[in-house]
Amino acid sequence: MKESKGDKNRMKSFSKRLSVLLVVLLALSMLAGCASEAAPAAGETTEASEPAVEPIVIGYVGALSGETAVWGQAGMNGMELTAKEINDAGGILGRPIEVIGLDGKGDPIDSVNAYKKLVSQGAIAVVGTNFSSCNIPMAAVAGQMEVPVIATAASNPLVTVDENGNLHPYSFRIGFIDPFQGKVLAAFAKEELQAMNAAVIMDLNSDYSAGVTEFFVGAFEEKGGEILTIVEAQSGQNDFRAQLSKIAPLDPDVILVPWIYKDVALIANQARELGIDAIFLGADGWDSKELITMAGPALEGCYYTSQPSFANPVTKPYYDAYVEMFDGLVPETEALFGHDGLYWIKDAIERAGEVDIAKLRDELETTTGFAGLLGDLTVDPATHNPDKSVSVYQIKDNMQEFVGEFRP
Amino acid sequence: MLLQQLINGISVGGIYALLATGYALIYSLLGFSNWAHGEVAMLGAYIGILSVTSLQMPFLFAVILAVVGAGLISVFNEKIAYKRIRDNNSPTMFLMIAAMGLSTTFQNMAIVVFGPKFKMFPQILPVGAVKIGSLSVGLLDLVSLGIVIVVIIGLQYLITKTKFGLAVKAASSNMGTASLLGINVDKYIMLVFFLAGSLAGISGVLYGMKYTVYPQLGNVALKAFIASVFGGLGSVQGAIVGAMGIGLLETLVSAYIHSGLRDLITFILLIAILLFRPTGLMGKDIQDKA
Repeated sequence: MKESKGDKNRMKSFSKRLSVLLVVLLALSMLAGCASEAAPAAGETTEASEPAVEPIVIGYVGALSGETAVWGQAGMNGMELTAKEINDAGGILGRPIEVIGLDGKGDPIDSVNAYKKLVSQGAIAVVGTNFSSCNIPMAAVAGQMEVPVIATAASNPLVTVDENGNLHPYSFRIGFIDPFQGKVLAAFAKEELQAMNAAVIMDLNSDYSAGVTEFFVGAFEEKGGEILTIVEAQSGQNDFRAQLSKIAPLDPDVILVPWIYKDVALIANQARELGIDAIFLGADGWDSKELITMAGPALEGCYYTSQPSFANPVTKPYYDAYVEMFDGLVPETEALFGHDGLYWIKDAIERAGEVDIAKLRDELETTTGFAGLLGDLTVDPATHNPDKSVSVYQIKDNMQEFVGEFRP
Repeated sequence: MLLQQLINGISVGGIYALLATGYALIYSLLGFSNWAHGEVAMLGAYIGILSVTSLQMPFLFAVILAVVGAGLISVFNEKIAYKRIRDNNSPTMFLMIAAMGLSTTFQNMAIVVFGPKFKMFPQILPVGAVKIGSLSVGLLDLVSLGIVIVVIIGLQYLITKTKFGLAVKAASSNMGTASLLGINVDKYIMLVFFLAGSLAGISGVLYGMKYTVYPQLGNVALKAFIASVFGGLGSVQGAIVGAMGIGLLETLVSAYIHSGLRDLITFILLIAILLFRPTGLMGKDIQDKA
């Protein structure tokens, strides 16, 4: 505002108006403070309180509703908790973070739209989703819009590298890729469980299921094991007995079930009912507290691979903070991805020394040894795949028990 | 293995049958497909599971509550929506649109109230099977099949041998005339909705026990609808035969052709029936369907 040159009278009324304005502003900022406290999820900017420092907007896309909302909501909660932690410690380069979460519904089209909307709202990077089927199209769109997207648990190779082997320059991932899990499972089955043969029931609509299956089969056969059969079914059909009845007479040592926990529970129970007593093996789709509640004793003694999880003691303070912030809600592993995703972005921005999207991308690509709660992360610049180990868990006495860290 | 697949198919078909008869009953009386029927089954399943898990009720009592509750929800639909539309002499199409609205409302309400997660009934029966040679029949399947048979025989008796059945048949053949002859048509419509809702409640609980309880559970009613078209819309016996047929077809297609083709073939069947035999297997008159 320019200096006003008028007479005393005008000056007086001006300062009076100014003081009224200030009072109103103060009241507004208090109101805004209350509002943001009451509804931190709404993603409203609190510009009135800190007009000088514009927040850094970081997006999150996940299934906040629908069949898989159990993960999306955990990821979103994890982002909120972490943003609060970072903001309390002074933000990134002195600027606060603002997390905006949008519902991708676990659907490729909705997820791409959510990503685009976040970019239009000024997001400098987007974390999510945990589904390869959503992140494969998001990666291509990110290449056009030039805003990094960081997949969480999505583990198909095509998330960062297209079918012709070309890198998606703006697509990154926190978790490992399918080959890792399929290969580790094959090695584990052959060497630790001494399995001679295996059968697979796979979800024909899921890239994830197909990815784990492909690499399991390749590695298992390479190690001298025999794949007896691969049967296909679809998520949502609920009744898998037609497919399982084909596996039953073959009596395999292990059965690979690369599905999400709800289907795993149904498949396991129906298989036991048909008299199948093989050990089931699965990947990180099994990783939910709901699995054991739903499957009951049918999965006793079975194994799955997953990201390092809350079983790791370093996650304890974060776990406690989460439980406290969300009224006793037990976090899913996806919450850790929200945590590592935000800190990874913070790490990259701080290495770049300024908030610049192109520099952020470069720094993400050259990350070495970023220490998150999910283990140390080093990115391969050629594929954007992280190098990290895979945890194997066993279901024992209705608990998920950590067996160890394995590499293929 | 074929025998095992037939057993699998019959067990799937049994649950479709309970839902399909509800479609058939309401269609025969009012001439429209009650799209909210699946959601009545879903709500019945939730009443059952919450009674057992949250209220710690004995299982049998929870089932009775689910069945009566689902029946009352079905009557509620009739009272707040369908009856008013009939009283306004609006076209039948309005009933169907109202039913779609109710279906979406209930499904979204369930997501808000019960949450999107899948819920599992506590194991009332151990996961086990009766073995006959190399065949195995699940305990739960045997129990559900028993329930399905008892319910269907009871329903058959109700329709063919009682005054209730006679009145319903009269009303479905011509509502105006039945009314002139002193039948309280509205009362019987309400009773039919209660009956159809209760059947949906049983099927919801059985489906929930066999698989899981979740807000989209009602979508299974689409298969039951196809079954009732297959059997002849409006025919209760047709609905049962149609449901068993669809259950077997789906299982055999999954087992011997390809899982991906399961729904495709089922829906092709629906279209083929509408084109070449619109009365279905046992339907009586050709009317507009769907």
